[in-house]
Amino acid sequence: MGDFASVVWDIFTSEATYTIGALFAALLLFGAAGELVAERAGTINISVEGMLLAGAFGGAVGFDLTDSVAVGVLFGIGGGMAVASVQAEMSHRLAADQFVVGLTLNILVLGLVGFLDHELAPVAHKAAAWRVPLFADLPLVGEALFGQPWPFYLVYLCVPVTWWLLFRTRWGLEVRSSGEDPRSADLSGIDVNKRRRQSIYLTGLMSGLGGAFLLFAQVGVFDDGMVGGRGFIAIAAVIFGGWTLKGTIAGSVLFASALSFRLSLQAQGYEGINSELLQALPFLLTIAGMAIFAKRVRPPAALARPFIRGLK
Amino acid sequence: MKARAGEWIALYTISVLVALVLSGVLVEVSGGDWWPVLEALVDGSVRGPQRWGQTLGIAAPMLLVGLGTIVSSRAGLVNIGQEGQLLFGTAVAVYFGFRIGGPGPLNVLVLLAFGALGGAVWAGIAGVLRTHRGVPEVLTTLLMVTVAGQVVAYGLKKQSLLLAPAASRGNRNQVSEQLAADNRLPVLRVFGNEIPSATFLAVILAILVAFAMGRTVWGVRLHMLGRNPRIARRVGVSEQKYGLAALLVGGAFAGLAGAVMLTGGGFQFSNYRLVPGFSAGIGWTGLLVALVAREKVLAAVGAAFVFAALRNGSGFVNSTGVESRITEVVQGFLVLALLIPPAVMFLRDRRRSRAASAAGV
Amino acid sequence: MSSDSPGLVGADVVSVPAVELRGIAKRFGSVVACDRVDLSLHRGRIHGILGENGAGKSTLMNILIGLVLPDGGSVCIDGKPQLIHDPITAARLGIGMVHQHFSLVDALTVWENVALGESGRLDPSEVRNRIGEIGDHFGIVVEPDVRVGDLSAGLRQRVEIVKCLRHDPNIVIFDEPTSVLTPDESAQLFQSLREVVTAEGRAVVLISHKLDEVLAATDDITVMRQGRVVERLNTKLASAPALARAMVGREVSLRAERAALGVLSVGDTHDHVAHSTGELPALELRHVSASTGRSSVALDDVSLSVFPGEILGLAGVEGNGQRPLADLLSSLVPATSGEVVVAGEVVVAGRPGAMTRAGVAVIPEDRHDSGIVLDMTVAENLALVDLAQVSRNGIVDIRQLERRALDLIDEFGVQCEGPHAPMWSLSGGNQQRVVLARELSLDPAVLVAARPTRGLDVGAIDYLNDRLRAAAAGGVAVLLISSELEEILDLADRIAVIYRGHVVGDFPRSDVDVQQLGLLMGGATP
Repeated sequence: MGDFASVVWDIFTSEATYTIGALFAALLLFGAAGELVAERAGTINISVEGMLLAGAFGGAVGFDLTDSVAVGVLFGIGGGMAVASVQAEMSHRLAADQFVVGLTLNILVLGLVGFLDHELAPVAHKAAAWRVPLFADLPLVGEALFGQPWPFYLVYLCVPVTWWLLFRTRWGLEVRSSGEDPRSADLSGIDVNKRRRQSIYLTGLMSGLGGAFLLFAQVGVFDDGMVGGRGFIAIAAVIFGGWTLKGTIAGSVLFASALSFRLSLQAQGYEGINSELLQALPFLLTIAGMAIFAKRVRPPAALARPFIRGLK
Repeated sequence: MKARAGEWIALYTISVLVALVLSGVLVEVSGGDWWPVLEALVDGSVRGPQRWGQTLGIAAPMLLVGLGTIVSSRAGLVNIGQEGQLLFGTAVAVYFGFRIGGPGPLNVLVLLAFGALGGAVWAGIAGVLRTHRGVPEVLTTLLMVTVAGQVVAYGLKKQSLLLAPAASRGNRNQVSEQLAADNRLPVLRVFGNEIPSATFLAVILAILVAFAMGRTVWGVRLHMLGRNPRIARRVGVSEQKYGLAALLVGGAFAGLAGAVMLTGGGFQFSNYRLVPGFSAGIGWTGLLVALVAREKVLAAVGAAFVFAALRNGSGFVNSTGVESRITEVVQGFLVLALLIPPAVMFLRDRRRSRAASAAGV
Repeated sequence: MSSDSPGLVGADVVSVPAVELRGIAKRFGSVVACDRVDLSLHRGRIHGILGENGAGKSTLMNILIGLVLPDGGSVCIDGKPQLIHDPITAARLGIGMVHQHFSLVDALTVWENVALGESGRLDPSEVRNRIGEIGDHFGIVVEPDVRVGDLSAGLRQRVEIVKCLRHDPNIVIFDEPTSVLTPDESAQLFQSLREVVTAEGRAVVLISHKLDEVLAATDDITVMRQGRVVERLNTKLASAPALARAMVGREVSLRAERAALGVLSVGDTHDHVAHSTGELPALELRHVSASTGRSSVALDDVSLSVFPGEILGLAGVEGNGQRPLADLLSSLVPATSGEVVVAGEVVVAGRPGAMTRAGVAVIPEDRHDSGIVLDMTVAENLALVDLAQVSRNGIVDIRQLERRALDLIDEFGVQCEGPHAPMWSLSGGNQQRVVLARELSLDPAVLVAARPTRGLDVGAIDYLNDRLRAAAAGGVAVLLISSELEEILDLADRIAVIYRGHVVGDFPRSDVDVQQLGLLMGGATP
């Protein structure tokens, strides 16, 4: 066990652990912050996985066309929004089952990018790192939080903006009431399905950003397996966090730590803990968390229930 | 009633056409020609030699997964973890199949039974969490897909679990032993096509499921639970019993599908071995089969065949210079297209009836 | 027809009407909800709109507040034609509505609810101040930072009223406001309404199906039937029988019908069915406590018994524990203490199906909640509770299912396309008949009827009440749970009152009067 303890010590004292962890956490947060808004409006938006992938692919296309990371990021947003538009319009205009739509979209996006992948020139495109003076020199976490490629810093914008939108604006109030009691919201003059659609578009926007971030700040080369279920982990983070922003951030950071810890263990060549089981850890944590808290945490009352005026 | 049938047909026709045209446009845009692709698809799925049988062989596990999904969604449960249940079921079948090792044909039954059992166990975890802790099964079943993948990958690294002994795995490092020839499902020959007996098994089970859902008290009670859990509870349908049972059946069908993929002769998914990624998306596709069939068994049979044809045909598409994954895109577009008509009709029906009751007629 | 305030005999109104609706038409599919309706509302007057369920009064008001778009006709506010396409526009034009079932979100606080449905920047302190101002001005005090879910029904209505008054509306619509109030509270509400109207010159609309209420509180009355205005008159010139005739479209003579229209006939008792002493109660609750959830009143130490052959009326304002009582007797919630005894046997409440097996039939308050399955056929809905009757060895006998359905459809006069019609295609009244047919066909020992006439028209109510009486006469113990005093007084042999989860009082019908019941419903001790 002494061996394990020293490995853990090495991991916790290595800057790389934190740098990788921060990147993982940022990706989860891009997805989860938007997902939180969608869920507070009443949608379990499973297509966030597809939105992330579409964002990454959009980024690659944008870069392919213009050689500019900034344009790539914009294209990434477009990719996320495209997926969001299908999810939003089909589940909250046509009232098709949101899970069915989300699931199909995930599969469709995977197929689409797999099909179109070959049109792209296989070049590496990674954004340059921006070091924030002084802060980046902080021990251990300085690099992780302030020495990353520039798309990383967008997460510092996304999270507070989500908070502000959801809890400080009229729009947020209307979104929350749409997720809690769509009938009352409707009687009060709120277009419930419009708010729900908008919240999904917001998820698309942020996940699109997240996908572009994944491409430009983390991986560098597009690959159709690059998201690899982390959209689902983002959903798990929202639920694990009890549908609060604080909880969602905590969930994202916790799951990112688990992912980063696993990578670091591998990097250290430690074989004592099986890496497959570690990889399953975020999922197991979420399931355990839900089993423990499900009866105490209250989801939005109308979560996953379609709203059609006059129908319960 | 006649006018309504007309509306249905028109809506479906338009939706499907739009999906196909979109796919065609995509092929053209990426520099291909849609006609040869279509021909390749038809050749690869039904017209080419042996292709019929293979398509039916692929359709069998898809249909099985779809049948289980129909049972669980009948009870109002959203099980979307078939991919994981299928994989875990297969792993359980492999684990016990090689340890029990009875006489060949009998061992096939053992494999199938343990496959179903394993799938049921995997779905049952989500089921118990749902019925006893109130955890939404949508999320647990989904999350358990990845967990199943990791658990099986782990098992395939340990010789005490699933990994084949060094002698029989050659230079591969994550692979189970291969099923002996007499441990495989027999293949029937019909008009020069090899049709796995699994296809017949799936069709028989489809008839059984249709009967159970439509004609048995159990089926009516599941339906009640799915559509109005409160009245169900009042008349004695316990969610803890019926809901859990429905999820177990759903998982069992997925696990059975996995065992069929392992033992099924006509189409070889992975050469009678369990490997990482063995499930190959059949769980997901089977789920889609059930979703587009909307709880109707006959429609599920049709959907399974179409999706299997797309999958089998995709093998021929590469020869046209078009990336074969176009079939996944076609499938996705098709599913989305098939969602639209029922949604439109539902909205219209309900608006009418609401108006009628609002006006007190 | 002349459009300027027709029928206002002795009109003391000269001003431009605050609201003028002309030729409003609305169809839903083949159903006409509003058929060229004209309506004028004047400042300083309370205008009652009377009509049975489905007469079109809700649709008309929903058009006025922008929830429904009319197919034809015009809306003038203060003489100017307006297009009202959503409630926010209506609010801007000075129209507010106090909804019958509230437009409040439980999970939000009072101030958040009050702010809901406005436009512009969200300013919490401004909203809080405004709530205080309204409280001072109208005497409706509410705490702005409490969660609405934690409030009683009466307080929620206050919030609903504040929410409506926040825009300082010139035109205020009250939709059946008294269903959550005791008679005393209703009287107070109408008193303050009168003050608001006379002092500040607002126009008020009172939607109601209760004749007495409209006669007592309004200045003008419009009666609607089947989407049309069938009568407009000054309240001073109105009489209950004439209004009743206009509402129903025929002479109303039956006592039950008068009760259904909210006309109280004090001292009007019917033959009392006395249960023989020494007989076992069919249903007995002994010190039972139960709860349906966080935000509603729980049953607290309730004891009551219902004997075979009698109707026990349980009166009470909505939201005082009726819900958990009905849920308890539907096996939907467990008793946290005490026991439920049916025909001498203790039943484990909360175990799925336990009450049904013991012989308790239920007509639920909300049939969509636990009465029917909309996606199943009429025949299936008729057989739901006892599938054994239509099956053998676990397999459903389709012919038997159909035969039984045809019999019941015939006996209870259910109007539908046949046994295989989907339940959702039936009207509310016919859905309720299906519930009634199924529950009575089980030969229950106990029948729990929770607000069984809600949303039904007079004819249907009459039929239902006859059935309940016949069931009691046939030896069933009937527990009638209702917030409509008239219904209770009309049907019950014995009367008890439920208030904040406690059951108080237990009187023979002949011993109670309306005043006394009203006081008990408001929490007075007997």
